[in-house]
Amino acid sequence: MRWFRFAVFISLVTVLQASLLLDIIAVTRLGIKPNLLLILLVFFAIYCNTTDAIITSFIIGFAADISIGSAMGSQTISFGLFGTALAYLHRVIAIKNYPYQSLAIFITALLAGTLAHFLALLKGQPPIPNIYTAILGTALYSAIVGPFLFLPTAWWMRIRTHRFSRH
Amino acid sequence: MARMRIRVRVPKRSKMRLGSLSRPMLFTWFMLAGFILLFVPQNLTNNFQFAFTRVFRWPLTIGRNISLYARTRRSAPGTTNRKESQYQNYIANLEEQLRQKHREVEELSKLRDRFHALENAGFVVADVIRSSIERAHCELTIYCRKEHGLAKGQFVLGDNSIIGTISDVSAPNAKVRLFTDPASKIPVRIGKLNIDKVMQGSGNDSAKIQLLSTKHKVNVGDKVVARKKPGFLDASMIIGTVARCRRDDANPLLWDITVKPVCDIERLNSVTVIIMNPQD
Repeated sequence: MRWFRFAVFISLVTVLQASLLLDIIAVTRLGIKPNLLLILLVFFAIYCNTTDAIITSFIIGFAADISIGSAMGSQTISFGLFGTALAYLHRVIAIKNYPYQSLAIFITALLAGTLAHFLALLKGQPPIPNIYTAILGTALYSAIVGPFLFLPTAWWMRIRTHRFSRH
Repeated sequence: MARMRIRVRVPKRSKMRLGSLSRPMLFTWFMLAGFILLFVPQNLTNNFQFAFTRVFRWPLTIGRNISLYARTRRSAPGTTNRKESQYQNYIANLEEQLRQKHREVEELSKLRDRFHALENAGFVVADVIRSSIERAHCELTIYCRKEHGLAKGQFVLGDNSIIGTISDVSAPNAKVRLFTDPASKIPVRIGKLNIDKVMQGSGNDSAKIQLLSTKHKVNVGDKVVARKKPGFLDASMIIGTVARCRRDDANPLLWDITVKPVCDIERLNSVTVIIMNPQD
């Protein structure tokens, strides 16, 4: 794992996610847009070894907390938990095709979004209207866009995506 | 007897372990850190978010400006001009102050007029760095050039109308909880009705006023003003207009009123913080 490249890349994506630049491609009245950090979470869970996947999941979760989240810690926990679970799952089931990758992004986004929401409620944040519609929309949008972003990410991280291995 | 030395090459386990830390331990430590972050009071963990905004202030502002530019180009012609909206809000504030003066004169006829509007207030102009408007969590992160005197609870103006209150301060940055945020509750008065009600944010750029009896006449377009709050706001000021008024589904004897802001909060590049009784 090239950690310096990873740090630069995550910083860039975090700023991009927080800067409202993605609002240009937002859809519906709820402003649903793809969650780039979640797409990266799935990418690293699929293409890294399990130890690296655990570390990257928590780091990406923390990045999501400081850029998107209102209650600190909620995204760190949910991203870390489901990123790790996905990395272990990948040791059993290979997630290499686009449809499977899309499905992995969709399910991870649904689960991570829901858990983060409940953790935020646990911290005393007020309930958010239309939250489940927003989570579903974001999961769907991320699942559609996600696999297309895997290639540039793999190029930047110098990871060979066509290699078939389970670490 | 000669001994043969056989070297057996054992595969390295460096990829399995990180130093002396196994995967389950690594996961446990990270989870523990996550739970610490979750349960530490929000005012402490906010410093991470403030630090992020401080470090990446320029790219965040540039990204926001590009996004606003793209939206402005897409917006339909005939949308209210920003300058026009500023004047309308300014006039509405004057009207409300005039109305309040009349009320005081009527009610306190011979007593000395104590209405000072915002004469004693100090104003701090702040740049908007980040905004979250359409999502359920409605807030702005602002950068104050003059940081002295910023405090939680102070009212914030955008285009001459109240847009929210300061929720967190980490000088020179601060967070503004917009009145459309579900956690925001602000006492307000609708139009010419002489009744105070609490307006609560409902996300998606709107707020709700409930528990108002249908015997009171409320029209779409009526102005909603934030009530004065000693130490924070000395005069009532416009905060929004009634966008929708219908009978409450749960209790048909009450109104369910939706209030929209009177300025385009998303397009604001700077806001003004009202500091009552400034020290200098």
